[in-house]
Parts: sequence; C-alpha cells; structure tokens
Amino acid sequence: MALFEIEDLTFTYSGAERPALEHVSFSIEPGEFVVICGKSGCGKTTLLRHFKTVLTPYGRREGKIRFCGQELEQVPMREQAGGIGYVLQNPDNQIVTDKVWHELAFGLENLGCDRHTIRLRVAEMASFFGIQNWFYKNVEELSGGQKQLLNLAGVMAMQPKVLVLDEPTSQLDPIAAGDFLSTIRKINLDLGVTVILIEHRLEEVFPMADKVLVLEDGKRIFYDTPRNVGRALADNDLFLAMPTPVQIYNAAGQPGVCPLTVCEGRSWLEAYFSPQPEFSAEAVPEKTPKADVVVEAKELWFRYEKEGRDIVKDLSMQVHKGEFFCVLGGNGTGKSTAMKLLCGIHKPYRGKIRLGGRDIRKISSKELFHHFLGVLPQNPQTLFVGNTVEEDLHEMLTDCSREEKQRRLAVMDGVIEDTEIRHLLHMHPYDLSGGEQQRAALAKVLLLEPQILLLDEPTKGMDGFYKHKLAGIFSRLKERGITILMVSHDVEFCAAYADTCAMFFDGGIVTSCPAREFFTGNCFYTTMANRMARNLYPQAVTGKDVIDACRKNRRRDSTPE
Amino acid sequence: MRKDVFSSYHPAVNFFYFVLVIGCSMFMMHPIFLLFSCMGAMAYYLYLKKWKAVKTTLRMMLPVFLLSAILNPLFHHEGVTLLLYLPNGNPLTLESILYGLAAGVMLVSVLNWFSCYQSVMTSDKFIYLFGRAIPAMSLILSMVFRFVPKFQAQIERVSNAQKCIGRDVSNGGVLDKAHHGIKILSVMTTWALENSVETADSMKSRGYGLRGRTNFSIYRFDTRDRILTALMSVMALVVLGGIVTKSVYFRYYPMIAMNKAHPGAIAVYLCYGALCLLPVVINIAEDIKWHYLKSKI
Repeated sequence: MALFEIEDLTFTYSGAERPALEHVSFSIEPGEFVVICGKSGCGKTTLLRHFKTVLTPYGRREGKIRFCGQELEQVPMREQAGGIGYVLQNPDNQIVTDKVWHELAFGLENLGCDRHTIRLRVAEMASFFGIQNWFYKNVEELSGGQKQLLNLAGVMAMQPKVLVLDEPTSQLDPIAAGDFLSTIRKINLDLGVTVILIEHRLEEVFPMADKVLVLEDGKRIFYDTPRNVGRALADNDLFLAMPTPVQIYNAAGQPGVCPLTVCEGRSWLEAYFSPQPEFSAEAVPEKTPKADVVVEAKELWFRYEKEGRDIVKDLSMQVHKGEFFCVLGGNGTGKSTAMKLLCGIHKPYRGKIRLGGRDIRKISSKELFHHFLGVLPQNPQTLFVGNTVEEDLHEMLTDCSREEKQRRLAVMDGVIEDTEIRHLLHMHPYDLSGGEQQRAALAKVLLLEPQILLLDEPTKGMDGFYKHKLAGIFSRLKERGITILMVSHDVEFCAAYADTCAMFFDGGIVTSCPAREFFTGNCFYTTMANRMARNLYPQAVTGKDVIDACRKNRRRDSTPE
Repeated sequence: MRKDVFSSYHPAVNFFYFVLVIGCSMFMMHPIFLLFSCMGAMAYYLYLKKWKAVKTTLRMMLPVFLLSAILNPLFHHEGVTLLLYLPNGNPLTLESILYGLAAGVMLVSVLNWFSCYQSVMTSDKFIYLFGRAIPAMSLILSMVFRFVPKFQAQIERVSNAQKCIGRDVSNGGVLDKAHHGIKILSVMTTWALENSVETADSMKSRGYGLRGRTNFSIYRFDTRDRILTALMSVMALVVLGGIVTKSVYFRYYPMIAMNKAHPGAIAVYLCYGALCLLPVVINIAEDIKWHYLKSKI
C-alpha cells in the first residue's frame, strides 16, 4: 500500500485567482526517497504543506490525499504529529526552546510520553546524530548546520514514518549542507524512513533520489527516476538547475545512460569522447594593462577581543577597477569578517586599507557610503525597513534636496529595471522569495550609486535560475565600471562569471589569480565540470566549456551499448 | 566559572540550600552567625569566580558595608552607652555603631549569597523547579530565554547593515539618529512576528497543543541528593531549635546582651558554621578526592 497517495489535487489560496496547484496526482511508496524540484513559486512548498493537516494553508482544495490508505483529515492529530515529521527552511526559527536536550524532548513532551520513554528516545537520537557532545549546550551557541541537525533529530525522536523537508540546506554552507543531506540519506537507508525533499542542490540529491517530481506552474510535468527526468528536461528552462553531468549529457546529444555524479560522468565522457589536451575554451584575453587599484588591503590583522584568536591574519589583496573579484573559502575562515574590515564596520589592529587610493580612516562614513561603497550583507532581510519594496526604495531618498530627488528618482527607475524587480514593488519585502529579496536589497544598495560593491554570499539559497538572473545584473553593473567584490562558497557561480578568484584560508588570501587559471589548478576546490572532464579537457572549467569540447570531439566509433 | 560540585546536585537541593542560608542570614543578627554566614558566602563566591569575586567585593560590597556602618549611628540613637554628642545634638551610642557594623556584614553576606545563587541556579534549573507548578509557564520561560539572544543578534546585524547604507543610529544628526533608531525597532517587530510564524508551524507540526503534555527533565533526585538534604535539614533544625529555646540570642538595644557559651550554644554555632561552609567543604572534599585518585593512577 502506498504511503501517500495524492489524487487530482487542486489548490487555490483564498483571494488568489489562479490555483497554486493544478490536478497534481502521484503516489509515494514506503521507503522511497523523493525529490521535488521546480522554479521558485511553482507550488513546491504549497504541495509539501498538504502532507500534514496542521500545516495545510487556507484556501480552496479539491482532490484527495491519503496517508497509509486513510484520508489524511481522518488520521488523528496525535498520529500525524508523530508519524509525519517536518523540517523547514530556516534552522533558527524552528527551534523552540533554549537548551539542546529540551529541544530534542519537545515533541515527545507534546505527545505525552513518560519520563522513561523520553529519556530513552532522546538518548537514542543524540547518539545517532552525534549530538552527545553538545547535549547540554544553549542552542544559540550552535552553528547553523548543528541547529538544522538538531531540528532533524528533534523530529526523528518522535519516530516518524515519513520525513518531509522544505529546502533544509538553503541557509547552510556547502560542507554543512553535504553533511545534512548525507544524514538524511542515512536515515532513509538505515531506518527505512520515507523522505520527501525539496532541494535546490540537485547535484547532491539527484544521485540519492529514487524518484524526482518536477512541478511547473503548479502542474506536475514529470515524476520518474532521476535519470529519466534528467533526460526529459533537456529542452526545459529547468535545465539550468540540473546537475552539471546531466546538463553536459543533454547538450552533447544524450548518448548512452545519463550520468548523475562526477564519477559516472567521467567514465561516460571517456566512453563517448576523445581527449583534446591542448584545448583552449576561448582565446585567452591579451594581457591588458591593469586598471587602477580601487580596493587595497595591506597586511591586515584583526581579532574581536584582546585575548581572542586572530580572525584575519596578514591579509593583503588588490582589486582593480571594473573587476569582478570573488573570494572563495570554507566556513569560519574569516571571509565575512574580512568584508566587515573593508567596509569599516570593524577596524584592523594592524595594517592599512585603501579605497580608491585613500586611507579608509580618513574617509567619513557619509562619504564612504554615498556614491562610493555599497555593501550587501549576507542576510538581505536586514536591509529592509519598509512595508513594501517601493516604500523601502523611497526611504533612501528621504534625506536629499528636491533637485537631487528628481535626479535620484530617475536613477531609481534605472535600478528597478536593472534588478528586474518592477513586478515586486507593491509586495512586502518579507514575502519575497530568497532570490527576490536578494535583488530588492541589491536595488536598495544601488540607489546610493556605489563605485565599489561588496557582496557577502549573494547566491546563498538561490536556485540555478535566479543565479543566472543575478549574473546578468552583475555583468550590466560591470559594464558601467562598477567594481564587484564578492565573498562566496559557490564555486560553480564564481567559475562561470568571475574575473579573478582568490582562495581564503586561515584568515588570509592564499592565492589569487584569473578565474580559469584558478580552477584548472585546483583539484578539489573546483567546479563539477572541471572535476568530471579533467582527464580529457584539463582547461575546461564551466559546463559550457565541456559541452563545446564534447561537440568537437565526439568519437565516431562509439556506439551506445 | 570553575567546575562546581555543589551545582551538580539536584536543583531542588540547590534551591533549598539557598533558601536556608539567605533566610538565616537575613534574620539572624547574632555576631557569630553573621561571621559564619559572611565567611561561607565569601568563600563560596571566591571559589566560584576566583579573583573576579575580589573585584566585585571591593567595588560593590565594601561601599555597601561602609554606608551601612556609617549611616546607622548617624540616624539611630538608641542604646545606653553614650560616647559623645553629634553636632546636631543627637547622641552617638556604642550600640548603634555595633548594630551598623552588624547590618553591614549582614548585607554583604546576603549580597554574596545572591551572587552565588545567580551562578548556581541557571535558567534551566529554575524552569525545571517552577515549571512543574505551572507547565505552560515553563515552556514560555524557555522560549523567552531562546528569543532574547536571538533578537539581540538580529538587532546587531540590522544595525550593521543599516550603517553601510548610512542609516544606523550612529549616522547623521540627533534627529536622524532617532529616526533611524525608530525605523530599526519597527522593522525588528515585523521580523519577530514574521519569524514566529515559522516557530509556530514547527511547534504545531511537532504536536504542540495535544492533550496530556508531559514535562521532561534531565535531573534525577539520587542518593547523594537525599543524603545532603537530610544533612541540611538536621543542621537547620538544630539552628532553629537553638533560637526557639533561646539557648542562643543576641540583643543590641538598649544594651548589648548575649547567651553564654554553654555546650548547647556551641553545638548550634557549629551546625550553622557547617551549613554556611557546606558548598565549599563539598568542593574541597571533591578536589582532595580527585587529587588522591590522580596520584594513584
């Protein structure tokens, strides 16, 4: 018997004209790992919330949802609370209590378990998730990844049959996200718990999934195994969100079986394509005399407390005018702190920062942040103060004269056009999706007409489609001579769009060189495409490079087995 | 804070102890009792906070002590032993000076006990003890302790982000500053409400609101706790008995009078002294035990 059966589900939010879900039907068998994907706003989250009665949104609903053969509404709340576990997007907001042990016990307390049972289950879960070392801690001492793991453990303590997860890793860095997803995989394999997951890191979850459900505008367009879905999506917009091996496979004309991982991709490439060691993706641009240095840091040292450890150590860097400079590096290496030094929020205890050739200490904050330096913080939400996006943008004009205002209004129009947020102007900033919030926040910063833009992880929690859009905005800004300095975890994004990349480790920059050189030189810290194709095309960095090379080097003798 | 063995006892034992010593210290002005209480409190505080305790003692406790010792004789003129007349014609008596000193010591020891209480009775112990009387209250308290640091961290992030677009409380003139501050506060309210929706979802989805919620805790009342509670009760009863039977007493006004040092009184003194020094003794005993264990390895 199927665990979940969705039959012809149509759902319209109250007040909305168009249904958010239209005639969706599918069924999930016990023990399956199902990934749901689609562009933001396609109804993924709405669908997910129908799997539990207390979370079902208000609106008009038709169709049936059955859980273990019984209509979901008929299933008692107690059974639903325990049997269907939910983990949501934001690790912070889901935590209810102040102590780790209390959070683990919270669900069981609600179910009315006695002390002895709770003690046993909590102990079990703490051991399974490796929580025993931070069992007595306050939750605010935990890292984002630990918090999300705690949420998962809290839900698992109730011994659910099915685990429903709504983009659980969107707020985590790649390492923590990888850990989290492999824990989910372990739960699925070892405990036989069914998993339903929305995720935009498809390259990691595609190989794990049994089935992939693809939604578009509230309709189901595919529900099949990952390989078949990968094949079928060849000529869809969603192609951009697919893992790199799938993209390359589709663009190269789909010979053989669709590869899902780097390893599979490598053997697939070797089977169907011949090598071309001296391949060069595009003519290497001639060494033009470098433009002026606009951001310069010289031997910076910083720590938060006198007795603390150094967060930034001997950091030196130079960013040239009009350059798109990416700083890559692991979590907790001090990247974000380095950013805060560059924009003057923190002051280094040794070393010098020059912006546009002037010492940062001699620039008043008024000068610094008007027409000079724009800073987009990691969480774009922190920039919003208004009730609508429009109000928020106008708020930036409150302190200038009338003529200035006229001019700025024209600027605003340009910025709205640039960041493609015109259709969002009347909405509350908090109601936007992650990618939209990022763009609205960027618009707000751009109103100050900065020459240098500092961005902290702008692609966090964004799907492939939005990243593409963001890259378009960056290239338009670059054409206007704006320098972009970005801190990121996102190797694929930096490889595709950055001019210069730098590796940040242990408080300083280890190396900094043009993007292609940077990625072909690394073997771990490089793109999926490069890792997949490095035996055949060592110079190829992005998926596009590999696709071009494949088209030229197709083996004639190869016949699909 | 140093590893404290006394804190590892059951919260009820900790709380019972503090009720006893703080209660006794507040109402018993017998100089020997005061001496023990003050010594016990200071020693324990010193043990918990090391030399940081010396700093607070000098900075906070000393002024309190001096103030009490000086003010009492200036405003209270009871007592039979006249020393001299103050410029305003009021008498200065030996009894009022002594009472001032005693009150000073009393205040200092109570303050010290409260400082110890602060670091021993952490929020989760408090919640555990009083949550059972009002179960909803314990969850609310726990959520408040979760919310406050989260809110503070977000305010700092917002303030930093706003600083970078020239709209923080540190930017502009006085009016601008106020304006920016209000904006930030208003958006923080929105933020808190917005995020609480997700918290509420998380609570509902984990079955909050079902009938028959239980309360889990990580504490267990074991043999060690029972022994210590019994010991503390015996000491407290002896002290109380001593006071009720008037085998110990002390009077400041109108003239100083106290009990004789007969064996009964000495037993009471010893009991009270042991009670006050209990946490430190437990800690030192544990340290010695460890030292012994280590030297054996």
